[in-house]
Amino acid sequence: MRLLAATILLFIGTLAIAHPTSYKGATGIMSYNTPTTNELLLTYSLSHRFALATTYLRDSSSEFYIPRANFLLARWNEHDSQANIYLSGGSGWEKFNNKTYSAHLAELIADWESRKYYVYLEHQYLRRNNIDNNLLATQDYNHSKARFGIAPFLAEFDELNVWAILQFDKHLNNTQIEATPFLRFYIRNVLWEIGAGFNGSFNFNFMIHL
Amino acid sequence: MKKLLVILSILTSLPAFAGEEVQVGVKGMVCAFCAQGIEKKFKGEPAVEKIKVSLEKKYVKLTFKDGQKLSKEKISELLKDAGYEAVFDGTK
Repeated sequence: MRLLAATILLFIGTLAIAHPTSYKGATGIMSYNTPTTNELLLTYSLSHRFALATTYLRDSSSEFYIPRANFLLARWNEHDSQANIYLSGGSGWEKFNNKTYSAHLAELIADWESRKYYVYLEHQYLRRNNIDNNLLATQDYNHSKARFGIAPFLAEFDELNVWAILQFDKHLNNTQIEATPFLRFYIRNVLWEIGAGFNGSFNFNFMIHL
Repeated sequence: MKKLLVILSILTSLPAFAGEEVQVGVKGMVCAFCAQGIEKKFKGEPAVEKIKVSLEKKYVKLTFKDGQKLSKEKISELLKDAGYEAVFDGTK
């Protein structure tokens, strides 16, 4: 049970840090990986405010396919910073033991970023109707996430950019908050992150905009 | 001698045919993805010969093909499509 819970926590924990929408005509490919889970997220932005996307998630027992729509609700462009509020929602299905169950996802994201600092807040709700999985304590899943980042040096966009990020996660009704440090690297249209939890887990995230 | 003068005259007149340049400030451009998106947006414009994006100085510099140019409105529209705001000469 603990293993299953940990697995779910890990895989849900990888859902964030995507860019829900990008510039018009942009395609985004994102992959989030832990020792027990893999996620692939594809987005296509019809405008900078709206993107169609699909999520594929896999863990040891289930596979999720969730088509979704991502909206940029508000953006504040300033000379040295940018802030955004995104809403994302979708419905799809979960494959478990050769059976298919519906699954629904909703996500609210707020972020603020300058060239030096980065703040990211997210709340995610997953409704899964997998009534056959007795190990699930509840069909509703809530997850809150906060990330705080700092760039130790500033670089141009065609040079290597490095960020140190500390991520906090709160799952379901747990009172415990997990903390995971990440190192983020990006250059031009490619970003990758390496995270190591204090419990020994690790994360590898990858993102490219085409 | 006359030939030489003609050649010199042609050579010295070449800069007059060089593409026009415009530098536009960009509000909200704070990350590499932003800069890359803006670069890609302008690359799709036939009038644009060369693009230089500076994340540090927060501008995009466009060099146009001979005799071609993008209006301020068009530049603003392209930046808006990418999700940013154009700033011309210190004003929005």
